[in-house]
Amino acid sequence: MTQEKNIKIDTRHLNLYFHEEKILKDINLEITSNQILGIIGPAGSGKTTFLRSLNRMNELEPGWRVEGQILLDEIDIYNSELDVISLRKRVGIVFALPVALPMSIYENVVYGVRLSGIKDKARLDEIVEKSLSAAFLWDEVKDRLNLSGLRLSGGQQQRLCLARVLAMEPDVILLDEPCSGLDPISTTWIEDALTELKKNYTIILVTNNTMQAARVADKTAFFLMGELVEVGLTRQIFTTPVKKETNDYITGRFG
Amino acid sequence: MQDHFNEEIESLKTSLIKMATLVDEQVERVFTALETGDIQLCKGIKAKDREIDIYDNLIQTQCENILALFQPVAIDLRFVLSALMTNNQLERCGDIAVNIAQRVKKTSDTQSLIKESQILDMGQQAKEMLKNAIDALILNDLEIAQKVLESDEIVDNFNKQIFLFLVEKMKTDNALIEPCSHLIVLIRNIERLADHATNIAENLVFYLEAKIIKHQIKLNPPIE
Repeated sequence: MTQEKNIKIDTRHLNLYFHEEKILKDINLEITSNQILGIIGPAGSGKTTFLRSLNRMNELEPGWRVEGQILLDEIDIYNSELDVISLRKRVGIVFALPVALPMSIYENVVYGVRLSGIKDKARLDEIVEKSLSAAFLWDEVKDRLNLSGLRLSGGQQQRLCLARVLAMEPDVILLDEPCSGLDPISTTWIEDALTELKKNYTIILVTNNTMQAARVADKTAFFLMGELVEVGLTRQIFTTPVKKETNDYITGRFG
Repeated sequence: MQDHFNEEIESLKTSLIKMATLVDEQVERVFTALETGDIQLCKGIKAKDREIDIYDNLIQTQCENILALFQPVAIDLRFVLSALMTNNQLERCGDIAVNIAQRVKKTSDTQSLIKESQILDMGQQAKEMLKNAIDALILNDLEIAQKVLESDEIVDNFNKQIFLFLVEKMKTDNALIEPCSHLIVLIRNIERLADHATNIAENLVFYLEAKIIKHQIKLNPPIE
């Protein structure tokens, strides 16, 4: 971590190409530790592509090419010597739609942990309680951990997915529209969880709900057509944005 | 959605302009009455103030609806907040017009004292400030708003000078104690009118430039 400025992730002149098309254009963005960075922007602005580039998820599909650097604790994650699996443990991701696995709540949480080699039951029990508690789900499911994860509500399933990411003890949590399919109460649960989690993690939240960024993000970045238009303290972005494009987007005048 | 929002904002603007126009008419009328001593002009001032009060409630409801339904941000949020504040200032100006009308009735036989004391000049200045504040509001004109801000001190100085003048008058002639007391209340009202005009101009600066300039306090930038 860059000590002076507490920077967890630093992207430098990041360009991302899908075949010949340039999807991200010269992104320079410093992401501070133990903060929530909200990323907003219209469809096709590159915000999800940017998020997925932070744990090299884009590479799961052929045709992607990267220029520039993404430094995680000052180490370039596109360095050829870096183990991608361990990167994805350190930088976990929660997707828009909850992906509960067809197994018990308990097994959903420890799925990745077991794959990484931890077998001790007492250790796994501890991880389950800790992760579900941190995801604000423990109290609702502690008496039915053997119930199928698929039997939970959408909001609970999303918190289960968050618990599964937390079980891997990442440094950074990426969230791609985590509340898009959730009702306002479930959304509040997730937002409350994020606000607590930032004490121990660095969180990057892509959202189409600009007010969600306003509510929970410490800083907000506005993406447009693959470019980072503006980044700043959330209270500044939502009161006195510097760029006209940002103002037009957050006030709904875009397009 | 955006069209609906724009309609609500336009409707709020229209209400503010109508209210401001009513306030301007009331103030114009009471100052003419003060200048001429024609108390007939004061009739109907109170009834007309009722219309201003109705706008006060309407604008508050419009702002509440916009905040609840659209959750505006940035310049839109500042517009609604400044509309709420300006609404409050205009309503107070309406009340002041009623108060001045009452004083005009009570001081109509002291025209010479009014003329001698510079009250008419002070009133003219305050009235001009309010007119400019309303023009600035309607036209979103920061230059006019700036003129209002610069004039506040002139009215404050009038207030101090006239107060001392009236106190001196009271000292010299007991018969002048009652009329001078009414006139002291009157200049207090005129001074408040100028303050509200200043506040309206400050609200416009807040809306258009995102700067809080009231109380002459500069806020430090947010701490990261």
